[in-house]
Amino acid sequence: MRKARSLAIAFTAPSFLASCFLLAQQNPAPRHPMNFFVTSSPIGDGGNLGGLAGADAHCQTLASAVGAGNHTWHAYLSTQARPGQPAVNARDRIGTGPWYNVKGEMIAPDLAHLHGDTLELARLGNNLNKLTGLTEKGETVPGLYDYADVRDNDWDYVKTTPFSNRHEMLTGSQPDGRAFTDSVDHTCNNWTSNKDPEPGTANGNLNAPDGRPNAQIGFPDRNGGGNGSWNSSHGTRGCSQESLPKTHGVGMFYCFAIN
Amino acid sequence: MPEKRSVLAALTLVLLASFLVLAQEEQRGGQQGRPQPQHHPMSFFVTSVGLGKGGDLGGLAGADAHCMALATAVGAGNHTWHAYLSTQARPGQPAVNARDRIGTGPWYNTSRSQLGQPQNANISQDLGELHGDTLIQAQRGSNLFKQSARTEKGEVIHGVGDPPPIEHDILTGSQTDGRAYTDKADHTCNNWTSSGAGSAQVGHSDRIGNENASWNSSHATTGCSQAALESTGGSGLFYCFAVN
Repeated sequence: MRKARSLAIAFTAPSFLASCFLLAQQNPAPRHPMNFFVTSSPIGDGGNLGGLAGADAHCQTLASAVGAGNHTWHAYLSTQARPGQPAVNARDRIGTGPWYNVKGEMIAPDLAHLHGDTLELARLGNNLNKLTGLTEKGETVPGLYDYADVRDNDWDYVKTTPFSNRHEMLTGSQPDGRAFTDSVDHTCNNWTSNKDPEPGTANGNLNAPDGRPNAQIGFPDRNGGGNGSWNSSHGTRGCSQESLPKTHGVGMFYCFAIN
Repeated sequence: MPEKRSVLAALTLVLLASFLVLAQEEQRGGQQGRPQPQHHPMSFFVTSVGLGKGGDLGGLAGADAHCMALATAVGAGNHTWHAYLSTQARPGQPAVNARDRIGTGPWYNTSRSQLGQPQNANISQDLGELHGDTLIQAQRGSNLFKQSARTEKGEVIHGVGDPPPIEHDILTGSQTDGRAYTDKADHTCNNWTSSGAGSAQVGHSDRIGNENASWNSSHATTGCSQAALESTGGSGLFYCFAVN
């Protein structure tokens, strides 16, 4: 009996103490599971992502590789209307939030904060920035002025230099998160094209009013493009993998879990 | 007759010169579409140092004088400089809106481009773009962000994630639209005269913090002393704009 009691004390006391210690160590707020990330790698065929389905699958694959495959992941991409095929708005594909990065930091509580649906919300901006716009592996996306090098514009160099600027995220969207409604390409032909402009037609205008292959991009570091928009800063010089780095992108995009 | 000939020669010269200029312009615009940096004098900067007395800047006049002194020290004293600060209404003294003090733009910083050449990057074209007066302007934001919000010496202000001291809390006393607060609470360290009681609204030069990205109205300081400003990532810096 005596032995049994001392055994019980010997077992319960330290474990009780230990659990107190654990409780004290724990964060007061529970950590939110990741339901937002920037793809750590591009698909690699420029603006051809295999359509929305291919992009979603890329999100799912990357998430699964870090143990977050138990969510349904969607790429933050719009597609433009085609005959018999309505436009798809990126903002309608990502659930309702709140969204958290891999460190549990909130990106935005809801769609209105994410996009700035009112003047005040838009002026304030969301919480996506260089420090929170992390990949699924928790990496910071190299941005403006990080390891600046002339070769940053050359895909052959950029693909072997993970710290070179690659802050342009494909979105194909307007600042409000909706598809463009004009007849110009903003989505590399709904994410199926890896084509470049015909030689001699590149006039430097990134927004392709002449209908050149083009994708609208935004920056997670909010630095660049004359406006710092996270989802709709400017267009690209083409849709090939080699064209994207010319303005400091490699074809990465945002992924959101919708559940 | 010789007079006529010399006129003709002069005309030819002018014509040739203008062709040359045109050719140069074309080259400039046509270089892979990359516009060459044009020189615009600096008309915007973040003060490289504060006044050191917390929220007491000696009123708007003291803050403006600080802008002018810093600008003069780098050879930009030939402009009239105003601090981007609001003051709140007092009996017999109307409010002053920061946005009404800074001219009409466009404004340029002083910095170096990615590859090291000196350049003056455009911060904003006008008041509407700077403040996001329309929804689309507000959603896109201006060109004022961490890498463009430079001091008069062309330095980046240390922000979140940088080595301390972090100085990204920039005094403005303003709402997001650049106007003074209209409530009774102190948002301006008693119109920039208090280094003790009170509070000042600040923006973030790196546009990171407090779960928003506002450059001019992110949060309130915990007090007006220099120590209070430093406790939340500031040192009493503010934005200066040339009004002419």
